[in-house]
Amino acid sequence: MMRNLAVSFLALGANAAVVAPPPTVEVIHWWTSGGESAAIKSFADAYRAAGGVWHDSAIAGSEQARAVAISRILGGDPPSAALFNASKQFLDLVDQGLLNSVDEVASRQGWDQVLPESILSAVRIRGHYYAAPVDIHMPTWIWYSKAAFRKAGIAGEPATFPELLAALEKLKAASLIPLAQGGQAWQESVVFRAVLANVGGRDLYLSVFRDRDPRALKSDALRNVLLNFKRLQSYVDDGSPGRNWNDATALLITGRAGVQIMGDWVKAEFAAAHQVAGRDYGCIAGFGAHSPYIVQGDVLVFPKTANPDGVRAQQLLARVVTEPRAQVAFSQLKGSIPIRSDVDASQLDICARQGLAILRDRTRQVGNDEIYLTPDQNGALADLLSEYWNRNLPVETVQGKFAAALSE
Amino acid sequence: MTVRRRYLAPGRIGLYVLLGTAAVAFLLPLYVMLVTSLKPMEEIRQGHLFAWPAALTLGPWHAAWRSACTGVDCAGIRAGFWNSVRIALPSTVLAILLGAWNGYTLAFWRPRGGKLLFGILTFGAFIPVQVMMLPLVRLLAQAHLVGSLAGIVLVHVVFGMPLMTLLFRQYYLALPPELFAAARIDGGHFLRIFAQLMLPMSVPMIVVAAIVQVTGVWNDYILGLVFAGRDNLPMTVQLNNLINTTTGTRAYNVNMAATMVTSLVPLAIYFVSGRWFVRGIAAGAVKG
Amino acid sequence: MQPSIPSDLDTGPRRAPRAGGSAASRWAHVALAPMAVTAIVAYLGAALWTLRVSLSSSRSLPKWDFVGLAQYARLFHNDRWLLSLENLALYGLLFVLACLVIGFLLAVLIDRQVAGEGVLRAVFLYPYAMSFIATGLVWQWLLNPELGIQSAVRSWGLRGFRFDWIVDPDRAIYTIVIATVWQASGFVMVVLLAGLRRVDPELWNAARLDGIPTWRVYVSVILPLLGYSFATAFVALLAAAVKLFDAVVAMTQGGPGIASEVPAKFIMDHLFGRANIALASAGSTVMLLTVVTLLAPVLYARSRARRVPS
Repeated sequence: MMRNLAVSFLALGANAAVVAPPPTVEVIHWWTSGGESAAIKSFADAYRAAGGVWHDSAIAGSEQARAVAISRILGGDPPSAALFNASKQFLDLVDQGLLNSVDEVASRQGWDQVLPESILSAVRIRGHYYAAPVDIHMPTWIWYSKAAFRKAGIAGEPATFPELLAALEKLKAASLIPLAQGGQAWQESVVFRAVLANVGGRDLYLSVFRDRDPRALKSDALRNVLLNFKRLQSYVDDGSPGRNWNDATALLITGRAGVQIMGDWVKAEFAAAHQVAGRDYGCIAGFGAHSPYIVQGDVLVFPKTANPDGVRAQQLLARVVTEPRAQVAFSQLKGSIPIRSDVDASQLDICARQGLAILRDRTRQVGNDEIYLTPDQNGALADLLSEYWNRNLPVETVQGKFAAALSE
Repeated sequence: MTVRRRYLAPGRIGLYVLLGTAAVAFLLPLYVMLVTSLKPMEEIRQGHLFAWPAALTLGPWHAAWRSACTGVDCAGIRAGFWNSVRIALPSTVLAILLGAWNGYTLAFWRPRGGKLLFGILTFGAFIPVQVMMLPLVRLLAQAHLVGSLAGIVLVHVVFGMPLMTLLFRQYYLALPPELFAAARIDGGHFLRIFAQLMLPMSVPMIVVAAIVQVTGVWNDYILGLVFAGRDNLPMTVQLNNLINTTTGTRAYNVNMAATMVTSLVPLAIYFVSGRWFVRGIAAGAVKG
Repeated sequence: MQPSIPSDLDTGPRRAPRAGGSAASRWAHVALAPMAVTAIVAYLGAALWTLRVSLSSSRSLPKWDFVGLAQYARLFHNDRWLLSLENLALYGLLFVLACLVIGFLLAVLIDRQVAGEGVLRAVFLYPYAMSFIATGLVWQWLLNPELGIQSAVRSWGLRGFRFDWIVDPDRAIYTIVIATVWQASGFVMVVLLAGLRRVDPELWNAARLDGIPTWRVYVSVILPLLGYSFATAFVALLAAAVKLFDAVVAMTQGGPGIASEVPAKFIMDHLFGRANIALASAGSTVMLLTVVTLLAPVLYARSRARRVPS
């Protein structure tokens, strides 16, 4: 009888083990097309390989995706994970205790050692880690079409900002569109950050965005940046207002325009048109050996759930997406750079390798504006810059309103 | 008009010319959408909007329906089709029924408080859907309805009620008053007059209401995203994912094809509804 | 049948006396229940919730502190908001007028028993069926000077032709009018058509026998008869104008710069992207109060004027 009892207990135990459900997550994100959806699919595949189940809730439009995530959290039907930017966007969720932390994953994977400072400052809040970083983008790369450059007789790559302006002049003379630009506020803001980084330099950039130092905001250096920003507008064509960023890239692809200032997600557009970095188009991260490298990131947050299976599934997800191999696979497809410095970069394209190398130099890293500013301040600044770009306002007025926009 | 014309009077010709011109103007965007959906992306990048496709391809239509990537899943917009139907059918039927019910009550019986409620409802029509989303989601969370079919249907009925009520109330107010008076004299009571007299009489307005409500529900995606739950996402969510990507590549030909496919259902309803735009329904009833 | 005295949004003295009887009014009061629940719980509730949030410092989630009218002060110091109100006034006027006129003309033309009526109705109504996120993009292309109508007309020889309103900060809002009128005229057309189809054919015969010209019949007889339908269309169009959002996002994103900004887009941007639901709520409350302030007296006055003892 004892033996029967023992067998029964063993059987019960075995059944219990078999019955445990696989870790299941529902992920809200905004990566709905082309390279980005292939990239997030690589995460889904990695999660499945680790024994989990991935339910995809893709919602186009980053603002909408975040809005839906927040609405569902408020409505008591939260997803397991939601995509946000490395920024202050999820600060309120943390403050109201609506997110689970991933401290265990962070310490086990040594995030403090391998993540760039800007990303760490976004995910580590009051000593706890509330988000898992998934990629790093640089929004202000300067792309140029080699065909257009050849046609305009531009020999090499511009190495300084004045050389860039000279190249734009040559493109204009050759009846090509010098600067392919999409006339949307966020794109104009990208151009401004590029000018601030390259003309203003790292110190001014940090004083303006991170410290909001009144002296920096009133300085002649900032005035110079604004003037150069406006100067670039004269190299833009008439069809620019409202244009989507990928239509601007299309101008480079078809050789009708020379230069575009945009993030490294453009590589997917080039790839879709079978163009190769280094052969058909070139990429410039910044001018000079110390130009700032703007770190923009995406992170996954984990809405609060008390269900232990749910928490386990979330922790697994946080671990899977931040592992080196998953990071490399993802970055190749997304056009981004892995979040950690300890990866094998040989699989990435030359622009990404360049970016990763620059990122290793901590003195060149700066955070994207959204890392330092609230979404509201960011938006107010974008409004102002867009007005300046599109209308002939005197630079003094704009500089005066600059401080106001950042203070609200 | 019962006089038949055997020849085309100048007035008639003018009529057709006007309608023809208007039709061409209205059809222009559709033409652009059509040719764009039949071109490969290389041609679209050239930017010749009105040119007929040089390399005509049905690939985008195929991709839109079953293979375009809308996230991790690459199954086109087909995935959500039946969800859209399951949401649209009850939302439309219930909204129309309630609109007719409300309009009937307001127009003929005019109970106290009716005007005030109608006023609140009408002003409610001016509030954007997204503004009401957060309070509604908190409300429905109490009833555990967020993320369910019942929840999304309820939300659509709520948002449709102002316009539905307005449509039917105005329609009933414009009917000859003798109609209702006669029905009451004949001994009809509330429900009977509604079901047997007014509802059959409102067929043209039911058609208009169906057109409005189906279009609104079918083309909605933001409410579906928040209230419908993962298993009931309408096809417009996939459509939106195809079109509105933030930093992903845009396949304009697939976008256009997907939009046209999505609009086939409301369009079918418009076509079918033509039968009921018949003349003189109420007038005929009074005579008899 | 004699044409009735014109009446519109509210009941007039010719109405049958209020349905009497206590049983009847009990039924009628119970029948109000769905409307009551929806109006009070959903709409009034949402409006009050929004008002409460506008008095707080909520960012991306509601926070129940109290900051008085600070958000409203900030609202009216905001250039984008003030411009959006201007744009809405201009847009609203043009949009509602154009839709009513074009919708009426289309309904009248189609009502004249034309061949292919079903097809024509579909031609004018199909824009209404299509989601604006894609059709808005097509309009953006059509109105883009380099891609669309301007370049096409120029390629036909008229080198000096200009139609670049969409990239002109002072004219961009008119392009939104064009695209949304294209979309909404069909709706006005069917509403008015339903009204027109209720007109007794005998009326036309009588008018013909009396020798009244067709246009006169329309202006003096048909138009007044369509009063209720016009009121429906007017309210629906006004609501659509106040909520204008999709078209602006799809066509201009509020640009160039902030030139074509509208209140609903301002509210939406702050609700989601800018994570400032308090400011957005203040904007919504202002919009709602404005609409109520403008429309309520009109409705009330009409309702009082008509309440002549029968």
